[in-house]
Amino acid sequence: MKGIEAVRAYQEEIIESIPSTIIVLDRGLMILYANRNYYLKSGKKERDVVGQRLDRVFSPMLIEKTRIDEKIRLAFNTCTPFSGGQLRYPGGLFFFYKIHPLKESDMSVRRVMLLMEDITELTRLEEELRDSYVKLENAYSELKEEDETKSYFISTASHELRTPLTVISSYLEMFEDGMLGELNENQYDKLAVMRSQTDHMIRLVEDILDTSRLESRKFKIQKQSIELEDIAKSAIDEMSRLADLKEHSMSLKLSKKPPQIMGDEQRIRQVFSNLITNAVKYTPNKGRIEVEIKDEKRYLLVSISDTGIGIPEKEHKKVFDKFYTVGGKSLTRESERMGLGLTIAKGIVEAHGGKIWVKSEGEGKGSTFYFTLPKGD
Amino acid sequence: MVMCYFISSMAKMKLLVIDDAPYVLKALRDTLEAHGYEVHEAVNGEEALAMYKEANPDVVLMDILMPKMDGVSATKCIMEYDPNAKIIVLTAMGKYGLEKDCIEAGASDFIMKPFKTKDLLKTINSLVKDERN
Repeated sequence: MKGIEAVRAYQEEIIESIPSTIIVLDRGLMILYANRNYYLKSGKKERDVVGQRLDRVFSPMLIEKTRIDEKIRLAFNTCTPFSGGQLRYPGGLFFFYKIHPLKESDMSVRRVMLLMEDITELTRLEEELRDSYVKLENAYSELKEEDETKSYFISTASHELRTPLTVISSYLEMFEDGMLGELNENQYDKLAVMRSQTDHMIRLVEDILDTSRLESRKFKIQKQSIELEDIAKSAIDEMSRLADLKEHSMSLKLSKKPPQIMGDEQRIRQVFSNLITNAVKYTPNKGRIEVEIKDEKRYLLVSISDTGIGIPEKEHKKVFDKFYTVGGKSLTRESERMGLGLTIAKGIVEAHGGKIWVKSEGEGKGSTFYFTLPKGD
Repeated sequence: MVMCYFISSMAKMKLLVIDDAPYVLKALRDTLEAHGYEVHEAVNGEEALAMYKEANPDVVLMDILMPKMDGVSATKCIMEYDPNAKIIVLTAMGKYGLEKDCIEAGASDFIMKPFKTKDLLKTINSLVKDERN
């Protein structure tokens, strides 16, 4: 014996013991048969079930709610199965049921099979999942609202800070230009400190605003044709005063003139400026800083290397995180930055479709920051 | 070094500064007068057009965030009255797309606060030079 023949020998045992309920009914909705699973689940006795109409066995409320009687009649009339519905039993039990017409040898349908699966546990899990989803959704919208409030606050605060900075900066410039009388050396010395601190405050306000824009994905770039070489040169020039103070040597290395690419000039300048600023600040006096632009096939590769304090390997990824400072120590006093420069540089490079990363042999062995900018079509 | 962009042989160039922040107005007046310009003021967008008609300035310096009428609307008003008006927007608001809105309203240039005086003077003079050429 093999296949279905082999099964026939113990098919009754199979039907009786499967963990699903099977009920067979005739056209008059009289129950002809129910398997053992039904009696286990319902606690009813066979004599109260077999030979009874469905509405005397299932509670009227259950039938009322599910209209299972109509669905059975429909299955009889159309000779097509009903593919599924849910039944809620008293006591919090859930069943999934199907109605399957049983075709006789002459293809007529005189009986249907009602198949029921206990899905109580599944339903419970589903409800839990739905609950958590709703909770998550609520938490998300709350967070989003808070985030928007925060962005609004930052943008307003930055606007409010820029206005007095405009006034301070204008008068400083009048002093610097000698328009408010000649200054002696001592006064000029103090004025230079005020200028550098004011410029620093202006940069901080810009950095905070940029970081907030990056976070709220409101960061936009305006692309035009740009010369990377010119931008690199002017960024180096800008930093040369600070580099001279620390007696660094700075140079720009090019194998050949790099082609023009599409990019946001002001933003790319900011990337150079942030990376060169870090190189100058994190390199002890008399160091060497080299900017190099290489023309690769599909992109320009920029590297900015220094002979500075280096970065331990485990922190190579973290350097681009917000508020990161080397070694986790608060170097902000010394470096006078909030640790936003690299976060912003990464945001700008990525907004251009490029990549940014760092290599360092370790502490005291200098660092090289790389970034790419696609050449486009 | 004194940055003097004003050419003394010419008649004093007239500027109209529109800003609601009194200290910004004072600082701009002091700076620009020291560089030889004649400065007129308005403290909001609504006053701007009346002042423009009265003073007939060579260049307007326009703030954006102001009570009553904002700078973009005020720019439109002035441009409607005088399509040849030269308006430079000076704003502390870093909203994306604002520059485009201002240029579309008819502004000739857009400068973020805080700015360097020499950059502002360069922009003012480039507009007037354009005019004279």
